[in-house]
Amino acid sequence: MRFSGTSALIRLRALWMKELLALVRDRHGLAALFVMPAIFILVMSLALADAFSERQNTAIGYGVLDLDGSRSAQRLETQLATVDLIDEYGPLPDEATARARVAAGAMAFVVVIPPGFGAQLAANQTPHLRLLADPTIPLMVRNGFRQRVAAEATRLRLERVLERVGVSLMIPELRQIVERAGPPEIAVEPVGHDDGGQAIAPSAVQQNVPAWLIFSMFFVVIPLSAVFIGERERGTLQRLAAQRVSFGLVLAGKFVPFVLVNQVQAVVMVGVGRWVVPLCGGEALRLPDAAGALLALWLVSLAVSVAAVGWALLIASIARSSEQATVIGGVGNILMGAIGGIMVPKFVMPLAMQPWTQVSPMSWALDGFHQVMLRHGGIGDSLPACAALVCFGLAALAAAFVLNRRGNP
Amino acid sequence: MIRLAHLCYRYRPTTPPALDDVGLEIGRGRIFGLLGPNGAGKTTLISLLAGLLAPQGGEITIAGTPLPQWRAAQPRAMALVPQDHAFYPSLTVRENLAFFAGVQGLAGHARRRNQDEALAFAQLEAVAGRRAGELSGGLRRRLNLAIGLTGAPDILLLDEPTVGVDPQSRHFLLEAVRRFAAAGHTVIYTSHYMEEVEALCAEVAIMDHGKVLVAGALAEVTRSAAAGLGLTLTRPLPEALAAAWRERFATLTLAGNLVRWPEFALDELGALLAELAAAGVGVERVDYGAANLEQVFMRLTHHSLRD
Repeated sequence: MRFSGTSALIRLRALWMKELLALVRDRHGLAALFVMPAIFILVMSLALADAFSERQNTAIGYGVLDLDGSRSAQRLETQLATVDLIDEYGPLPDEATARARVAAGAMAFVVVIPPGFGAQLAANQTPHLRLLADPTIPLMVRNGFRQRVAAEATRLRLERVLERVGVSLMIPELRQIVERAGPPEIAVEPVGHDDGGQAIAPSAVQQNVPAWLIFSMFFVVIPLSAVFIGERERGTLQRLAAQRVSFGLVLAGKFVPFVLVNQVQAVVMVGVGRWVVPLCGGEALRLPDAAGALLALWLVSLAVSVAAVGWALLIASIARSSEQATVIGGVGNILMGAIGGIMVPKFVMPLAMQPWTQVSPMSWALDGFHQVMLRHGGIGDSLPACAALVCFGLAALAAAFVLNRRGNP
Repeated sequence: MIRLAHLCYRYRPTTPPALDDVGLEIGRGRIFGLLGPNGAGKTTLISLLAGLLAPQGGEITIAGTPLPQWRAAQPRAMALVPQDHAFYPSLTVRENLAFFAGVQGLAGHARRRNQDEALAFAQLEAVAGRRAGELSGGLRRRLNLAIGLTGAPDILLLDEPTVGVDPQSRHFLLEAVRRFAAAGHTVIYTSHYMEEVEALCAEVAIMDHGKVLVAGALAEVTRSAAAGLGLTLTRPLPEALAAAWRERFATLTLAGNLVRWPEFALDELGALLAELAAAGVGVERVDYGAANLEQVFMRLTHHSLRD
């Protein structure tokens, strides 16, 4: 009558069936598992699409306060109007108005052209422009705009220099060289693993959805903890232990159904990015066309599920209450997301901090998704990330097993 | 025969032992009542028997075989019915039974047979399709018991199985336990309801502070503690009379309105009653000779509150 290998399968099947039945019947749990992440992805995709796209209906604008009134000042104003990053909100009458508009958040920047700007250029002196800036505007945007203003001012200065040289050498056409040339064109060419110029420039949705997908997948810790702690409080875990169901079997009984549920979550979220976001006016999430790339994408998402569910089981098994699980799991996820480049992209972080992103499994997951979705890599390219995630998930499971074994025979 | 010898268990090195050199023998096919106030060590003992804890000292043997080997050889032969409603409220009664039979390695015909037998035993057929979370308190208790029977065990550990149920459900549960034992199975039954244990159990053990205070056949336990006199007064004994009686009777115990002499010569009763009447204290009840289980329990555990 000893439990055999077949018996272990029968017992596992019973555990899996129970878990799936309980999940299907838990309406609030289903909402937490599927509806919330779907809404999350929808909101994040729509919110991020405009903010990072090259030229869309951004709410960022600038004004010009011309205290000089020279031809050079007007020319600078005209040239800045060609900036496609942000909108021009027109001239401002005085500095008090300019400061009030910026302070009220009505415009992001005001370019202050000081008196004598034209004369300074004519005398080949360095002009002193000022930029009034809204402190809430990201540093990257501010720096980008400042550099553009500096570039246009330099162009004007060059024009004046050539104009003077042209007059001296009696070649007035010299002045028009810069005027006609316009700013240099720089083509951006995305480079992926599948060479041959087939790579398409990734949209903001393409770049951001994987990050938030990973973040949502790791939040399986909340419903899983609720199920686990409920069982402990009702005494069912104790009853199962008395029926000689080992803790390892209990973990396996939860691991497979929740990995499955986590995969369905991922499909729902990708589906929302692919089909629902465009219906709401956002950009559709593009998936790779090739079967190999799709398989690689699925492998990465499966590895993320293994890591997320392993981590969730560890938290659920050590937490003594739902409150503890919510705090440890939720805060743990937020920390992993913050360190792992989910909330703040890795390239924005200071150099000293960037290597630290590698301590977060979410960073490995992001690397895996980026390999497939942005760099168009195949299975081989995503394997290191997948292996790291699976190892993390299994290590978390092993830790859950060992920690729960203490004090139990 | 279940034999517990010199069992010791301590949850932390700095706390008093939960079990301290406990020894018991429980005959096969008996209903054995395990009594004790909160914190006496009953749950620890049940946990050791169920294999949820490992003894730190001593040994449990069943039919001469150490418990771990006995359980490994016949994993379904012992079942625990915990005090909590240890099942899944979102699953139906039948699904719960199927699940708990399944995790014990039962499949196909064997599972269906055990499931149906457990349903019939607890008379749950009419609610088999209802979700467990929708059942009344009595039906939940019956389901809790039925789940314990899905593995067709030989030994059943029942931890407070009638808490919070109405008299009808309690009567049904007690009858069910009797039927189970009548089929030759062993039941270890913990309860705070003394009349229940007295009505059900042929053998009892009373525990306190991790030790067994008395154990044996119910009649022996009640008889062994029955020689004294107990008076239940209308009010606590006046201080002067209490001091005088303490001087005369060295073994006298006073607790509220209760006065007890462990050994008492009956010819002194008249004089005592006269002294009480003179002090204006009425007598509500006189106990002499055979004691009931509750009296034995209260006497052995010294009437004091534990929580």
